[in-house]
Amino acid sequence: MPLQKLASVSAHTDRIWQCAPHPTLPLLATASGDKSSRIISLLTYNTLSTIDGGHKRSIRSVAWKPNTRGESVLASGSFDATAGIWRRYEDDSGAATGGEYNDEEDEEWRFAVVLDGHESEIKSVAWSAGGSFLATCSRDKSVWVWEELDDDNFETVAVMQEHTQDVKCVTWHPEEILLASASYDDTIRLYREDLDDWVCCTLLEGHESTVWCITFEPLTTPNYDAKRGARLASCSDDKTVRIWTRVGQSGVGAGQGAGAPPSILRGAPVEENWTCSAILPKAHDRSIYSISWSPRTGRIASCGGDGKIVIYEEDKTSAPGAMEVDGDAKAEQGSKAWKIVAELKGAHGVYEINNVAWSKRYDKDKRGEDDEIIVSVGDDGNVNIWAVE
Amino acid sequence: SLAPSYANDPFAPSSVPELVSDDSEDDDSVVESIDAQEIYDLVSTMCDPEHPITLGELAVVNLDHITVQDDPEELTGLITLEFTPTITHCHLATVIGLGLVVRLQQALPPRFRIDVRCREGTHTTDRQLNKQLADKERVMSALENETLMGLVGKMIETCK
Repeated sequence: MPLQKLASVSAHTDRIWQCAPHPTLPLLATASGDKSSRIISLLTYNTLSTIDGGHKRSIRSVAWKPNTRGESVLASGSFDATAGIWRRYEDDSGAATGGEYNDEEDEEWRFAVVLDGHESEIKSVAWSAGGSFLATCSRDKSVWVWEELDDDNFETVAVMQEHTQDVKCVTWHPEEILLASASYDDTIRLYREDLDDWVCCTLLEGHESTVWCITFEPLTTPNYDAKRGARLASCSDDKTVRIWTRVGQSGVGAGQGAGAPPSILRGAPVEENWTCSAILPKAHDRSIYSISWSPRTGRIASCGGDGKIVIYEEDKTSAPGAMEVDGDAKAEQGSKAWKIVAELKGAHGVYEINNVAWSKRYDKDKRGEDDEIIVSVGDDGNVNIWAVE
Repeated sequence: SLAPSYANDPFAPSSVPELVSDDSEDDDSVVESIDAQEIYDLVSTMCDPEHPITLGELAVVNLDHITVQDDPEELTGLITLEFTPTITHCHLATVIGLGLVVRLQQALPPRFRIDVRCREGTHTTDRQLNKQLADKERVMSALENETLMGLVGKMIETCK
């Protein structure tokens, strides 16, 4: 299954750490060591605008707020220890046609708010599914949750200091108010809101070195099984990608939607039981920096310091069902269900690849509404766009 | 300024000559291979951050503790350098490690992956130190720190 390069956008003069496709519009945002973020059209693969002047050091992470109307909202996290909120009014026609912004419109990106509080480098920013919460994490070992009370008015609702080291990545469940964080301390932690408090409900141990990136399974993958419940993928400096599965229906609101009524019993257990259900076939020989789980095909893409992009697919028929087998046997069975369907060396020439992301395909050659692309960004400052043939 | 120009821009033109010039890089038929001696020569003249003595003279870097994997069939090569702090509780071991990373990144073409590690058992916190030196994000963030880069700049000043 070959990867075909559709475009290579020379977007930055310094490394690109991360990129984020817009949830609904044909836009991609980048985060770069040159202290700026660029907005790239996924219709034409042209650079539309540059967002800079807000951060004093590298921008490490960017995230689009979901469910916005009439405007786009981008959060940025920087090594300067602050997070920024940027807004741009969306003239719907502009975005829909590829947003060939003119100079005047370019000015409309406003640096709306600075979120201050972390003591050192912010490594990752993430919005909750509904857009009401923003999570940030830092080398200061903490994970913060911010709530936007009204426009541009953010309040810190939680500061979690459970990790013993640098926190590398935060991500939210696609539906529940369930937050996950990954750390230099080799562990992953999950958090829930329990009445007034945010508490750690699970500690996932198994990786043998820094966990760089985590992502929940989208609810729309062909293999998503509501009965089995939530799954989380993680990748690490130990060169493995692992899948973790929630076991049983433990915990407050576990397995229920975000609208589930909160427990009125103080002290009700919030602990959740998660288990490592698969280790994906090994393909990388340097640190794995990023993974992305396609909401359309259920495939997982990974990339890392070896300059490779690898794509894995799960065989539905051999994937373990809920509670059929337990423990190690189940994990072994789960691992066998995944196979490598594509492996591309040197996807950014000799350079390391810092991030991969699946996105819907919008360009003129797209093959239907379900067509998708992989976006990769690297130390060469390029954004590469790939089609899976 | 204390920080070298490349502190903020790792893609800025290098202040030290590259072992492989741009010309030969473009020409696929001429790929000069690099050996451990050349790597040693690049780092042995660096200065200790505290003393006017070179890392070679202090035996912080040793030819025997450098390996080069440079297979012409492979897109990327790997350089492994293990350094030996002068004392097991050397408080500047991180700076030395960082200085070696910066020096090699600047002098070598981007096809090389560079693993700089403290030799096992030669420092009280060698495991912690090595995890930090292996963490690209932490290294890149340190390169934006002016105080650290001032020290690293002094170490490299002596390389001609």
